[in-house]
Amino acid sequence: MASLLTDRTSRAVNTYTYTSRPRALPCQRRRYRDNFLQPEEEPMRYGNIMYDRRVIRGNTYALQTGQLPGQPDPLELQRQQQAKRRALARKRAQEQLRPRTPEPVEGRKHMDVQTELYLEEIADRIIEVDMECQTDAFLDRPSTPLFIPAKTGKDVDTQILEGELFNFDLEVKPMLDVLVGKTIEQSLLEVMEEEELANLQAMQYAYEEIQNIELAEVQRLEEQERRHREEKERRKHQQWEIVNKHKETSQKIAARAFAQRYLADLLPSVFSSLRDSGYFYDPIERDIEIGFLPWLMNEVEKTMEYSMVGRTVLDMLIREVVEKRLSMYENKEDKHQSLRPEDEHGGPGAMRDQPVSYDFQEQSLSHTQRPLLDRDDLPRMSYDGRPSQERKYMEEGELLGQSEETAIRKSLGKEELQ
Amino acid sequence: MAQAPISTHLPPDTKPTKASIAYGHRALPKLNEELRSEDLTTRQKALMALCDLMHDPEYVYQAIDIGCLESLKALLKDINDLVRIKATEVLYIMAIHTMGRDGLLKHDIIRALSFLLNDANPICRENLHKVYKLLALLPSGAQGILNSGLIPSLVWKLQKEQGAIQELILDTLASCLRVDATEALGSRVVPFLKQQLLSGSHSIRAKAACTLMAVSIPWQGKKQVWQYGVIPILVQLLKDDVDEVQANAAGALMFATVTTEGKYAALEAEAISPLLDLLCSPTNKVRLNATKALTMLAEAPEGRRALQSHVHTFRALEKEASEATMRRVAQIAIRVIEGKP
Repeated sequence: MASLLTDRTSRAVNTYTYTSRPRALPCQRRRYRDNFLQPEEEPMRYGNIMYDRRVIRGNTYALQTGQLPGQPDPLELQRQQQAKRRALARKRAQEQLRPRTPEPVEGRKHMDVQTELYLEEIADRIIEVDMECQTDAFLDRPSTPLFIPAKTGKDVDTQILEGELFNFDLEVKPMLDVLVGKTIEQSLLEVMEEEELANLQAMQYAYEEIQNIELAEVQRLEEQERRHREEKERRKHQQWEIVNKHKETSQKIAARAFAQRYLADLLPSVFSSLRDSGYFYDPIERDIEIGFLPWLMNEVEKTMEYSMVGRTVLDMLIREVVEKRLSMYENKEDKHQSLRPEDEHGGPGAMRDQPVSYDFQEQSLSHTQRPLLDRDDLPRMSYDGRPSQERKYMEEGELLGQSEETAIRKSLGKEELQ
Repeated sequence: MAQAPISTHLPPDTKPTKASIAYGHRALPKLNEELRSEDLTTRQKALMALCDLMHDPEYVYQAIDIGCLESLKALLKDINDLVRIKATEVLYIMAIHTMGRDGLLKHDIIRALSFLLNDANPICRENLHKVYKLLALLPSGAQGILNSGLIPSLVWKLQKEQGAIQELILDTLASCLRVDATEALGSRVVPFLKQQLLSGSHSIRAKAACTLMAVSIPWQGKKQVWQYGVIPILVQLLKDDVDEVQANAAGALMFATVTTEGKYAALEAEAISPLLDLLCSPTNKVRLNATKALTMLAEAPEGRRALQSHVHTFRALEKEASEATMRRVAQIAIRVIEGKP
């Protein structure tokens, strides 16, 4: 309708064109039709805008908004409900007034009977078939047919062959997007992974460095501590040893001093005692004492023994002689004179023998005592001096011995002779 | 032109070498079943797919949960080379993540992998050592490696292997020896490391020096380092071109000179002048280690005398130090040099 109007006006005056021309709006008294018998077209009533409830007049702030255009307003609703109620009441009244069949007599029942030729099944249920028909809602009139304008212009046709509509660049773009996108995504992931790993490794390195440094420091301090401790131990040990040595030396000194003092007296006493016990001797003296004197004593003893023996022999001789003389005396008194010149013989003979024996003795003496005599002459002199008496005695002894010997010899001789 | 109707052919298989991954949380169980299959191709394809999936930590967790490790352990003994290589690679990728490492330790993978130490294929061995290296970074992992008695065999392998594998073994040993070095010291690791110090490749030198640093932390190690005459070589390495080598050599010296014999060996080898040169180095680690080593040497009377003229260098270091560690280290050095015993 709007388009028709515009067409007319456009033909008349072309100063101003509207998309939708201003027009007076019809007021729509009823939204729904009350009954189907109502004629469709009614004289159009145009509303006055001044008295249109939809137009808001006055203050816009405390007003109630009206109903939505789809909704019925409550006044209309009420009126409809009243109308319905009236219709229902009318119907009920009509029902009651309608003539009905009289009631059945007692004991009988009314029954419906079919009188037609063909019996019909009368069921309680009415066979119902649902038929639906839907028209477009709120459509009062059918839509206008499609306006197909008359064909104007030239007909041109074209044939699209296979492969012509294909624009490679356009078609390939989405695929390329996906491919490149996926590749870049994958590579980004990998790069990120590697970067993450590299970061982790870098952190690890840094941490490791610090850890190593700290460890080295700890070990250095440990080592230092150990060295200090050992040094202390060593010094303590040294000190202890020094003290020990000190003590020891002082003890030693004390002991030595004491020993010295103790032994200071000891030495002279030792020496004196030694000397007293004869450990210090003159070797020559000792030699003489050991060697010479025993020999001397031996010789003296021997000589004395000789003299003793001589004496004994002489005694024996004398005895014998005396006995013999006695016997002889007893036997013969004249033999007494012959015995006296024998004694004299015996005397000078002995005298003669004496220097011989003396020489003999001297020779023997010199033999034995030569080495001694050779050494020094002084002791010889003393030796000569001292035992001179002894020698004299010895000489006498020898003399007597010799005399006895000769006497014995002679007596023996005599005895042999006898 | 792209046709609207759906084609009857299956879409082209862009990755024939990989098994197709099922959707959502069915992915890993299906791969697990495929791992146990009899067919070689299936196994290989499943392993390739698994390699890709294991980069995601959530999948790692799920994999360990459903027991993929058991099937992987069985696959380690497979005859086919590719299967073994890929299986070790999967384990390596799993070991990158923490929960992967935990799972590996719990399922005793170390022992299962140790059978492959003598494997013929070098890539397999390389992956194996990568796994060990990552496991050794964890203290419990290092303990696990020590407990399984692998240290002597690793030291032995250090001699026999070459190149990249040697570097990996050195890294593993460095981490393990920090925990406990007695076994390694017993298996003559110090002479081997001494040889490595003179190697041509700078990364091997650096890592060998790093391992020596770890070896010389315990007292027994220090003694052995001095006994085998490694200290002069370390002093020589201080003049090396590569920063890393210098840093690690200084670090090894720092630990080895804690003992008196070490100190005197270093002083005899004239370590003071190279160490002083290193104090001006750009790398932080080099400066730290050099300062520490000089501190050790300053405790000996000869060292103290030599260093007293260089106290100003330490003061300068202290002033311009950016971080607390460097400052502290420089302060300690100054204190040791100037302190009276």
